[in-house]
Amino acid sequence: MSIASGQQAVQRPAGPPALGGAAMPTAAPPADLAAGLRRTANTTPGRLSIAMMGLVVLSLLTGVIGLASFTGRSNTIADLLTHREPVSTAAQQIYRSLSDADATAADAFLTSAVMPATLRARYQTDIAQAGSALAVAATDSAGVGAATAPLAQLSTGIPVYTGLVERASANNALGYPIGSAYLREADSLMTSTLLPAAQTLYAIDTQRLVDAQDSATSFPWFPALLGVALLVVLIITQRFVRRRTNRVVNVGLLVATIGVIVAMLWSTTAIVLETVHVADGRSSGSDPGATLAQIRTKALQARTDEMLTLVARGGADYTKQYNGFVTDIAGTDGSGGLLAQVHANSSDDTTTRQIEDATTAAKSWFDLHKKAVTANSAGDYPTAVAITLGSGQASQGNEAAAFDRVDSALEQAIGQARVDFANQTGTAQTWLTALPIGVLVLLVAAAAGASIGIWQRLREYR
Amino acid sequence: MNRRSLLPALGLALLLAGCASTTGPVDLATVHSVAPPVPGGIAVGKAAVPTPAAPSPSCGDPTASLRPPAVMPTPGQMPAGSTMAKIQQRGFLVAGVDQNTDLFGYRNPADNKLEGFDIDMVRDVAQAIFGDPNKVVYKAISSAQRIPSLEAGSIDLVARTFTITCDRIKQVAFSTVYFQASRQVLVPLDSSVKSFADLAHKRVCATTGSDSLGQAQGTANAPVPVAVNDWSDCLVMLQQGEVDAVSTDNTILAGMVAQDPNTKIVGDSLAAEPYGIGIPKANQDFVSFVNGVLQEVRSNGSWVTSYQTWVKDRLGPTPAPPQPTYSN
Repeated sequence: MSIASGQQAVQRPAGPPALGGAAMPTAAPPADLAAGLRRTANTTPGRLSIAMMGLVVLSLLTGVIGLASFTGRSNTIADLLTHREPVSTAAQQIYRSLSDADATAADAFLTSAVMPATLRARYQTDIAQAGSALAVAATDSAGVGAATAPLAQLSTGIPVYTGLVERASANNALGYPIGSAYLREADSLMTSTLLPAAQTLYAIDTQRLVDAQDSATSFPWFPALLGVALLVVLIITQRFVRRRTNRVVNVGLLVATIGVIVAMLWSTTAIVLETVHVADGRSSGSDPGATLAQIRTKALQARTDEMLTLVARGGADYTKQYNGFVTDIAGTDGSGGLLAQVHANSSDDTTTRQIEDATTAAKSWFDLHKKAVTANSAGDYPTAVAITLGSGQASQGNEAAAFDRVDSALEQAIGQARVDFANQTGTAQTWLTALPIGVLVLLVAAAAGASIGIWQRLREYR
Repeated sequence: MNRRSLLPALGLALLLAGCASTTGPVDLATVHSVAPPVPGGIAVGKAAVPTPAAPSPSCGDPTASLRPPAVMPTPGQMPAGSTMAKIQQRGFLVAGVDQNTDLFGYRNPADNKLEGFDIDMVRDVAQAIFGDPNKVVYKAISSAQRIPSLEAGSIDLVARTFTITCDRIKQVAFSTVYFQASRQVLVPLDSSVKSFADLAHKRVCATTGSDSLGQAQGTANAPVPVAVNDWSDCLVMLQQGEVDAVSTDNTILAGMVAQDPNTKIVGDSLAAEPYGIGIPKANQDFVSFVNGVLQEVRSNGSWVTSYQTWVKDRLGPTPAPPQPTYSN
């Protein structure tokens, strides 16, 4: 106690400036303030006061930063669920619906003078679907400059496209060959302007999704470093208090330490689990979903090209494009390509089964295409058309049905991938539900514990 | 700075920030003009006529072709080693045609079959080789693809409003003339254009690789050429108001009037456009065989029937079939 009373004697003059410094920080010139602090730091109660203030400020700062950081993270995940993924899917839907509308128009052109009811319904659904997906994609483009141009191209171009198709259809119904010229003009608008715009939009929205996923799985360095620093300061303070007061346990500081440790354990656990689930949502949901959507689009383009080959009676360009798409989808031997890649990476049993269905259906589609090509190059154009459109006898084979099987299997797999994404990302979000407030409460408690604990010791110096 | 002066300073800063705001009303993305849709593969101006139309050196009479064989082989029994025998072996004739030009070569939307005057000629050739006019595989080709396809040998013949010219006979062989067309101009009904002279600085459409654009460039006060892939693309552009006129053969123009009553054909019949069937230069025996087929077509009344079926309503009373000239 002799050391303590000796210091107590020194403390008396040093005490008031420390208090004064705390009450009127703006009044003291910096040099005086530094000197005052230095004097204060040389006394035990002075050091205790500084430690108390430091701990309170650091705890509250950590709590507020934690609140902001984890709330931001939680918002990012909510945004993933409610904006990024739906908008990216909507952009993909625009591309897919427009491609399908174009393919359907070409199909109808091959079939007869008047668009058959089923094809007309499909075409109209595609156009309506593209329009409503465009509305979804457009609502979320504010502040994304790069998205303005493709959105404008799409929203001004789609009405022009439908006008051309209707004009083609009217001329076709009258038996005028100019109908096919309007259809070609429509196809040219689609492939040279609308589809590239949809592609750009999809690329932008997918990048935004990936960026948001990256940000939701990044390590929260700032709150983590603050937490570690706080814990270190707490431990040092406790060792100091124990040495100077000969008390093993300071309840207030202990409570503060436990509060900080609980906050750190909780946030570490929650962040790790959240990161794992967001990453899972990406690897089992949005990533395979994107690849599946890519396969579905390529399949559709291949289908359009094989029909245009027949429409154009020759068209080496279309045949070349078809072969390119088929190689992309299933590789050169029918068992590779994107389908094999997405199958190998699939972790969901339902998705895997649907991908297998799509692969099987794609095989039979490609085989039937070879049959149609053989018929066409042997001079049997009607059989080639019958196989391709599935309008002939059952024995001839039906490419349209095979393609539809591929398309619907892929559609289901994409749906399943979306479900997986939503489940995983939703779970990730639940881990963060109480975390921001919890961390704040714990750190406010830590601040209170530290100040009460140290205040009790300080009182002993009065 | 003390706290007393801090507060008013802060207030002033806020006030200034409010005054300095120059945010206008939100941009409503007003559209003032819009690019009209155009057919794929369009070229305008200089790009439409890549090679300047040099006056072709005279080649005598380009329409003079090889005399038919003294005796035509019986259908289904082509002389061994001949081009016709190879075609017979294959089982079908491969013909490059147009599927977009009404009256001459077009796809009937009702049944997907190709029809027209040119198609009739192809069917006659198939009839002579196989005894069956249906043994044909049609390849739809554009104007620009006619000569490259023949040179590559990927098709046996081209029957696609193919005018015989001095330039072209350097690259491919032609049959005798099976149709005599002439160049005219198609304009909207309310157009003030009455002749070629009125086309100065107007946008005039033709297909890439056709001889219409080059010749149009030769005139004084040249029009602005617009080149597209197919003749029907020209009618599309005319209907959409993107070109002022279409310049080509009266046969093709007649097919356009048939599809659009709001257009008319004007201008004197300029340069004669003799149509022949294009054949790869190497297949001289096939040229002479096709000339034999055309000779029969002229004499047995099927030429007249084709004329009456396809063009009589548009091009007036049936003339005599064009008489062949032979070089040997």
